[in-house]
Amino acid sequence: MREAIILPTLSDTMETGRLVQWLKQVGDSVKKGDVLAEVETDKAVMDVEAFHDGYLAGPLSQADSDIPVGTVIGYISDSPEQAHEDQGSIPEKTTVAKGMPVGKTTTKELNQRDTSPVATAKQAVPDTDTSVPVSSQQSGIKASPYARGLARELGIELHQVSTASDGIIHAPQVLSAALAGPVPNLDAGPAYRYKLFTTMHKAVANNMIATLSTPTFRVSARLSFTPLKDLAHEQQQSVTLLLARACALCVQKHPHFNAVYTPRAMAMREQVDVGIAVDIPGGLVTPVLRDAARRPLDELNDDWRILRDKVKRNRLGPDDYQGATFYLSNLGVFEQVTHFDAIVPPGAAAILSLGAEQDGKVEFTLSCDHRVVFGADAARFLATLSQLLDNPKDSLCDAAKDQ
Amino acid sequence: MVEQVYYWQALNRALDIELAADESVIVLGEDVGLFGGSYRVTDGLYAKYGEWRLRDTPISEGSFTGLAVGAAMVGLRPVVELMTINFALLALDPIINMAAKVPFMSGGQFPMPLVVRMPGGVAKQLAAQHSQRLEQTLMNVPGLRIAVPATPQDAYWQLRQAIRSDEPIIILEHELLYFSKGPLEVGLEAPPMHRAQVRREGTDLSIVTYSGMLDVSLRAAEQLTEKGIEAEVIDLRSLRPIDWDTCSASLEKTHRLLVVEEDSRFAGAGAEIAAGLTERCFFNLDAAPQRVAALELPIPFNASLEAASIPRIADIIAAAEKLCSP
Repeated sequence: MREAIILPTLSDTMETGRLVQWLKQVGDSVKKGDVLAEVETDKAVMDVEAFHDGYLAGPLSQADSDIPVGTVIGYISDSPEQAHEDQGSIPEKTTVAKGMPVGKTTTKELNQRDTSPVATAKQAVPDTDTSVPVSSQQSGIKASPYARGLARELGIELHQVSTASDGIIHAPQVLSAALAGPVPNLDAGPAYRYKLFTTMHKAVANNMIATLSTPTFRVSARLSFTPLKDLAHEQQQSVTLLLARACALCVQKHPHFNAVYTPRAMAMREQVDVGIAVDIPGGLVTPVLRDAARRPLDELNDDWRILRDKVKRNRLGPDDYQGATFYLSNLGVFEQVTHFDAIVPPGAAAILSLGAEQDGKVEFTLSCDHRVVFGADAARFLATLSQLLDNPKDSLCDAAKDQ
Repeated sequence: MVEQVYYWQALNRALDIELAADESVIVLGEDVGLFGGSYRVTDGLYAKYGEWRLRDTPISEGSFTGLAVGAAMVGLRPVVELMTINFALLALDPIINMAAKVPFMSGGQFPMPLVVRMPGGVAKQLAAQHSQRLEQTLMNVPGLRIAVPATPQDAYWQLRQAIRSDEPIIILEHELLYFSKGPLEVGLEAPPMHRAQVRREGTDLSIVTYSGMLDVSLRAAEQLTEKGIEAEVIDLRSLRPIDWDTCSASLEKTHRLLVVEEDSRFAGAGAEIAAGLTERCFFNLDAAPQRVAALELPIPFNASLEAASIPRIADIIAAAEKLCSP
């Protein structure tokens, strides 16, 4: 069996990529995640990784050719024999889709290209060390007159702005570059490579940028933890689940913590959905326990088990992680962490964070959106939490039966 | 009082008022008298003002337009009706060589209170020789003014302003507009004759157009709303001079220019509009100005080919979408 290697879309504006070089030969054994080839996009030189274990098989696209994204550039086969069956190169012509412009490369450019195995992103980004003045670099970029003027006014370097689908920088691209904040000047530092954000990482980054406008304050309290831990042990429940239940009950008693700020008015939500930050390789996810204040603890326990399983199998869907009204973040498994504060995620008014247990107590920090709740509200919330934690058995378990 | 009138009735009203107000106003042209004009513009005026004020002429555009130039030099205020702009080619010598030059070459000793009215544009299957637009031919003549009224109100205003002006003025009408209806308020104060007007406000692109293409552009703009594009539509009202200020103000808002003209693209009015606005608004443009214009061919007689050879609503929508897409 042979799996096709597709030239991936490595940036949102990328239409073709230059296959700089193959790092493996036909017949070489490759493992999933191995770097097979280097592709230069409009912004940087990036790696094409193997998605399967096997052997690199031909025909391979020629190095130093421009190839539209989505084109098959080679194959990975199950056996080395198979890999050698169909050697040779894909002629450049057939790899170029109809109507796709084939990038022109002058001999000079080819000679300048670094042929060492580790090509760096420096090749693709404008090199300020050359004698070419900055102004002429800017004029080599296609941008509308209005976009140029905007960039000048906003202090945006055009070579840091991505183009629209027509390959030209228009005003919206400059504006979004301005809104995205400053880009660090990488040219001054050592050579570098770009590592693409995973979708999850990008989403987290965007979410965090979105919280920058939230006026936040934090209130901390050291509360007893031993009773809760004992209860969890006694009832074979997860500590996290009981904490989430405790949060939900506090929110129920202080309903402002279930609100969210909107420019029009505060949105008061009708049930408490607790999002729980979970550490996963390469980032975090926040599976949500729905209606955590009113539903029986057993039911929540089942939900939590299913959610944790989905997290483990990387199968968490948007329904599982979106729309929490209150968040919980626990770094207590790291015993060195005494306390920390978290960022209030968009869509919530507060997040409760806790560090490791010390002498039977844990330091809780409530980070709050000051547009929605006030310092004394947070203090009252923590007082309620304190009561629950002092006597968790009655408050956490009985509450479910009351409903 | 606002009335709903035909475009030709608005012109008729303007002539009636000016003929009554000033005895030196006369009307010359083929069938303007007894017959009341090819498009009824002089309907009823012959009976009211007589054959000396409404003069039927032989089929000889060069001679009766020349006659009008001479009459204007010695104190009359002639209004010449040419049956279509296609026949104006025969009168280009008196219009371009005489009317446009005499005030300048006489050092202002001879005024030129001449109005030449004519319809241009593609009508319904009149074939290539009777479907020309030709506005660019007259736009390139210093000394002329060209008004392009697209509504009954403007037809009324601009004809009255033209008759009262001491400069030679072309009123470029449109064969398909004569029987279009619109509001007319006789007492309403007129804007300056060359002032462009924003007919529809928008934020995403500026459609600059005139005459018969105004209605097509406005319809396209309505449909563009469904695609999330809000087009501003500017009616130039005058092709010489062009009101750059109104257009520039619009481009400062929208940053995108689409010119819609019924004439063929090459060296047409749209070329001047696009060039003039690029010079003035270069740093406000977020995309290269685009033109929607007629195809480069004599207008075919066949009805579907004829319709396909000049801008249609779909053409404007496609161009606007493309202009706004990146």
